[in-house]
Amino acid sequence: MIILAPVLLPLFYIVLSLVTRSKSLKQALAVVFSFLNLAAAVTLLWLVDHNEMLVSHVGSWPAPYGIVMVADRFSAIMLVVSALVFMATTIYSVQAIDPVRKENGYFLISYGILAGVNGSFIAGDIFNLYVWFEVMLMGSFILVSFGGEKQQLQGAIKYLILNLISSFFFLAGIAILYGKLGTLNMADISVKLTAAGEMMSTLNPALVLFIVGFAIKGALFPFFFWLPASYHTPPPAVSALFAGLLTKVGVYALIRIYSLFLFQSDGFWNPLILWLGILSMVVGVMTATSQYDFRKILSFHIISQVGYMVTGLAFFTAGGLAAAIFFLAYHMVTKTNIFLVAGWVHREKGTLDIRSLGNILRENPKWGAIFFISAFSLAGMPPLSGFAGKYHIIKAGVEAGRVVPAVVALFVGFFTLFSMVKIWLEVFWKPAPITGATQKEKSLLPDNLMVISSMFLAVLIVLMGVFAAPIVEFCNRAAVDLLDTAKYYGFVLGTVNP
Amino acid sequence: MELVLAIFIGLLYACGVYLVLRRSIIKVILGVFVLSNATNLIIFLAGGIRRSGKGFIPEGAETIDPALISDPLPQALILTAVVISLGISAYILALKFRYFEVTGTHDLDQLSKTDD
Repeated sequence: MIILAPVLLPLFYIVLSLVTRSKSLKQALAVVFSFLNLAAAVTLLWLVDHNEMLVSHVGSWPAPYGIVMVADRFSAIMLVVSALVFMATTIYSVQAIDPVRKENGYFLISYGILAGVNGSFIAGDIFNLYVWFEVMLMGSFILVSFGGEKQQLQGAIKYLILNLISSFFFLAGIAILYGKLGTLNMADISVKLTAAGEMMSTLNPALVLFIVGFAIKGALFPFFFWLPASYHTPPPAVSALFAGLLTKVGVYALIRIYSLFLFQSDGFWNPLILWLGILSMVVGVMTATSQYDFRKILSFHIISQVGYMVTGLAFFTAGGLAAAIFFLAYHMVTKTNIFLVAGWVHREKGTLDIRSLGNILRENPKWGAIFFISAFSLAGMPPLSGFAGKYHIIKAGVEAGRVVPAVVALFVGFFTLFSMVKIWLEVFWKPAPITGATQKEKSLLPDNLMVISSMFLAVLIVLMGVFAAPIVEFCNRAAVDLLDTAKYYGFVLGTVNP
Repeated sequence: MELVLAIFIGLLYACGVYLVLRRSIIKVILGVFVLSNATNLIIFLAGGIRRSGKGFIPEGAETIDPALISDPLPQALILTAVVISLGISAYILALKFRYFEVTGTHDLDQLSKTDD
């Protein structure tokens, strides 16, 4: 079954790299498998677009009893984008990660994360989703503390404790929901929730636990503190991988849960989700303005951008969901790429304090151009993908009659531009500060693979902006699928099984 | 029985939260273990606590009255959750060891903050 390929390929790589001795072979296999993973994801996208939805009953147990793997259009587009991001970071890591980390299984663990992320995207069973979350978290725990430097360990402890607590919230929610409904299949839970009608209020405690769990994972406003405390501590290639994949899985789960469970008592949940989104947008962007660390500014911007996605979700129209999905996809690519640029700057200059950097545009116009494209895409400049993302969120807000969130989104865009201009001026534009003690004249380390992977993502950003219409159209169909729960039930529980 | 277990889980959560908020890293880690076990007990409670038969259909019979058997699924879920928390416990203790090696302290407040 092709649907299981995105999970099996990373696991297969892990097994292979355990039995391979040669370091360079492991590395080559990592790159090859990232291409295979992309090929599998693209095939899946094509199949899903033709067959509407793919369902696999693991172990041939019928639907509400066994574990199901479901790929609809939303899952498929997430798989493709995460495969693209993973491919770029893997190629980048070949040169960016130091030999000691590579020797100790850097690629193996990053494939563990990929297995977890891909598994979460296709899980159709809520406990299975929890297990994939744990697979992903276990890998990320190791990568965040990998190397064991003092600063890294401090970041790792915060990351570890808060993410474990979020898992406990999620698990407790699953337990309570199972106790009340007696099922773990997400489609089946949704059917039973519809049947519960008035009884819904007794299930709200479980759903609150879900929301808190996913909000911590997705770094939403009152729960985001672990993210800026830990994302700037590991090696830059690792934080690029985290920025691209991890919080987005939390947002993915939130969208899934909302479109299957929460919408049934919309009056209660909608304002809550909307305010989580708006406050994340505003607080994230405001706190970013006071930072002077390259990666820290970007970390705070993740919170703000996650807020956009959740606001798009809270509109809960086809337009709003499509905008949220497009935003999710564009954000994964763009944010990863800016972190990749930060990684190169860190390797060349040994610091990421933007006050002591400068003049990079003249020294190295290639990286200047890549940063320019990514940063101004994030800020929402017209020909780039960020503009399309923000435009559709705001448009969906106005169309749904939610003018205030739309206006807030617009103003947050200006602040994002402010932060990006700040980095651009300080790091790339201004002349290098004279006090900067040991500035290397010329780069001695090879960086051609780093440039290629980063350039690839930059081209992708431009393409996603220029050809936004077909992608948004696809997202729109994904959103319509998400809203049409009857179709989802039919595929997962019914007889429709291609 | 359910009530006793529910109160016990509540107590465990209270202990866990208290420990997680302490300054010493070893107490924080113990707090995480307590919280994890409390959550596993919730799954156990969710299946219903009663003295009933094994989760098998007896030989020769086609079906069995669901009231006579206990639900085997929560136990399978706990098993999975326990295995996951075992892995995490091993990792977190190794991390603690390394942390003590590098910083020479158990006190989280003594360290310079990473988020400034």
